[in-house]
Amino acid sequence: MLPRKTWSLRSAATALTLSIAAVGLSSAALADWTPSKPVEYIAPANPGGGWDTLVRTTANTIRAEDLAPVNFAAINIPGGGGSVAWAQIARDEKNDHKLFATSPPIILVPLSGRSRFDHNDFTPIARLITDYSIVLVRADSPYQTINDLFDAMKENPSLSIGGGSAAGSMDHIAVAGAAGAAGLNAASVNYIAFSGGGEVMTNLRGGHIAAGVTGAGESSAQLEDGMLRALAVSSPERIHGPLADVPTYVEQGIDYTFDIWRGVMGPKGMSAEAVTYYQDLFARMQETDNWKESRDRLGWYDAYQNSEEFGKFLDEQYELFSSVLSDLGLLAN
Amino acid sequence: MFESFSSLMYGFSIALDPINLFYVFIGVFAGTIIGMLPGLGPISALALMIPITFSMDPSSGLILMAGVYYGAIFGGSTSSILLNAPGVAGTVATSFDGYPMARQGKAGKALAIAAYASFVGGTISVIGLMLIAPLLSKVAVSFGPPEYFALMILGLTAVVSLSDKSLVKGLIAAVFGMMVSIVGIDLQTGTERYTFNSLNMLDGIDFLVVALGVFALAEVFVMLLRGDDNKGEKRKAIGSLKLSGAEVKEIAGPVGRSSVLGFFIGVLPGAGATIGSFLGYSMEKRIAKDGDTFGKGNIKGVAAPEAANNAACGGSFVPLLTLGVPGSGTTAVLLGALLVMGVTPGPMMMETRPDVFWGVIASMYIGNVFLLALNLPFIPLIAKILDAPRPLLLAMILIFCMVGVYGMNFNIFDLVMLLVFGLIGLVMRLYGFPAAPMILGLILGALMEESMRRALQISGGDWSIFIDKPISLWLLVIALLSLTAPSLKKLYQKARTARA
Repeated sequence: MLPRKTWSLRSAATALTLSIAAVGLSSAALADWTPSKPVEYIAPANPGGGWDTLVRTTANTIRAEDLAPVNFAAINIPGGGGSVAWAQIARDEKNDHKLFATSPPIILVPLSGRSRFDHNDFTPIARLITDYSIVLVRADSPYQTINDLFDAMKENPSLSIGGGSAAGSMDHIAVAGAAGAAGLNAASVNYIAFSGGGEVMTNLRGGHIAAGVTGAGESSAQLEDGMLRALAVSSPERIHGPLADVPTYVEQGIDYTFDIWRGVMGPKGMSAEAVTYYQDLFARMQETDNWKESRDRLGWYDAYQNSEEFGKFLDEQYELFSSVLSDLGLLAN
Repeated sequence: MFESFSSLMYGFSIALDPINLFYVFIGVFAGTIIGMLPGLGPISALALMIPITFSMDPSSGLILMAGVYYGAIFGGSTSSILLNAPGVAGTVATSFDGYPMARQGKAGKALAIAAYASFVGGTISVIGLMLIAPLLSKVAVSFGPPEYFALMILGLTAVVSLSDKSLVKGLIAAVFGMMVSIVGIDLQTGTERYTFNSLNMLDGIDFLVVALGVFALAEVFVMLLRGDDNKGEKRKAIGSLKLSGAEVKEIAGPVGRSSVLGFFIGVLPGAGATIGSFLGYSMEKRIAKDGDTFGKGNIKGVAAPEAANNAACGGSFVPLLTLGVPGSGTTAVLLGALLVMGVTPGPMMMETRPDVFWGVIASMYIGNVFLLALNLPFIPLIAKILDAPRPLLLAMILIFCMVGVYGMNFNIFDLVMLLVFGLIGLVMRLYGFPAAPMILGLILGALMEESMRRALQISGGDWSIFIDKPISLWLLVIALLSLTAPSLKKLYQKARTARA
């Protein structure tokens, strides 16, 4: 079975305190090391996706606020759900001028046996933000609450739940984990894998699937025209902004949260001075108005962790995801 | 109607702003050049533009980027026709008759037809976008997994018309293409298929690698093997650009039909310009009285796919602009760029950002005129490439293909695959296996398989889902008819002659 209450995100207040503390600590370290040439800032995917948006938004903010003496050059290395880029970065040990955007796939993809490199092969720099998973149905759907949907899934396990990524990846884990926490067999969820959140939305609108699971941030615009309805969001508390009306799993009696976190990592063996420099840089970046404006627009929530905390967090995530994947029968070896 | 008109006038007021006019021009100009270079597709070009557009007004940014996109499809026909090396995926079908025309000394005419057909296809699709985009979003969502499966089946029936000599060899080629299409990670189970444990194979084999291999590279190999025996061909002549009245009449029907077909295919997320152009080509081949001359330099074989792919490109803006959903890899980049520029695309974008919606649509009218005006005068210049001495020309094709393929992912492995598919293409040529059905299998195979499995997963394994859904049922009936009609016709004629 799934571990029930998994882990939950530190509140925004904690993150804020942490980042302020980090800024305070940084002044001494700043003098030690600064990048001497442009930083290769890699999105391990094609333009247009979550990693790419993170890389470009943070690079733009750093430039606009003049936070670094050098340029952060956004580079796309697509392929294998990230594994092509990871293999390249892993070869570049001790490079202090290389960073990449990361999120749960850095753990999920290796666990399912599709990457030789996992989070232990890289240096955590900072966790930056989180998004949440959200379950949507069409406005005319009979399911009013997430429990209606889960009850119906108990009656009829063939009820189709669409997600925007392959079996065993984020959307699947998010919804199967919730179903497990609600007392269903996680492996019995009839998860239909589409190639992207956009396809899930068109199939949901067309009534081809019973429900869809996607990122909360990208769903807010989709909810605007009233054709779709959100049943549950995976945040610990209700989120602010356009999705304030959407109830959490927790308040509907399901002890479950799930974070789609995103952060930054570097190659293995990066110098401690460089790690300190970058983690403080990102902490300072998250304090700027420019960042806050972009963050709100993109539906992200600040979830800063420095290198050390992020490293521990990644290990916890590894444990969590291994157990979910093994419940789903998708764990490699 | 009047409402669209006044909205369009509003759109023009944005698109005709001198700075936006400049962006349209730069966009279509850059797009044409990118399209002409084999392999260098609109995705990489758009990625390069994201930092440039970041500080722009969103409507200007999208006007610029959309110009690059449809400009690339417009210009992509050039290298298909001149070098048998498709510039972008959507122009593969153009080479079927465009390249034979160039070899017959009619390169100028082929390029001119491609330009006119692209212009008409592009313009018809903008009119469609303007008048019925919101309505079309309903068409886009009405296609679920069973409907896509049925559409892919209908598309596959084109194998019959694309296999010129031996149907069996055509079917073998199509099956091979479908096998290539399933290389990579299977979405439904997360399992790797035919990847040989290679990281480079996880995402499958890129369509353009295969297309450039079996068309351009195989052509180079064939020319090398045959030595200089094609001196008799009028390779150097470009021929006239002018179309006779009869020719205009001849292509008018195919251009009109393929524009409409291409537009509707483009509206469907996941289908797009490549499938649109193949369907347009095979539809015209079947309708035409001289269908057997398709593939040997028929002007309709150039006009139909070019009208269809440009119309499909316009159609692909429907899901993006009306639902905020990308229908293809290229529109996904556009969506990402809009996000970075501060616009969240969604179903309400038409209301919340009319400047973006109508500005882009109006700019497409202007962009299409620019493209025609840009491309026509350059045809004699560009076609001069055929004047190059043959060794130089072959070397150029090789370099274009390699640079283009390497430029997609900056991965040497792709070059190895290019060579592999070049050799496969050569073997296919030597043994009379047609390349077009293989490419068709490759385009349709993955989507067909995914759709079938999704549909069956939704229905709990019940196959009747494919005939319970009216759209799916009709598409399957049309597919069945298109397969059986020729034989039925023959049977009927035989019966009549026997009686007489």
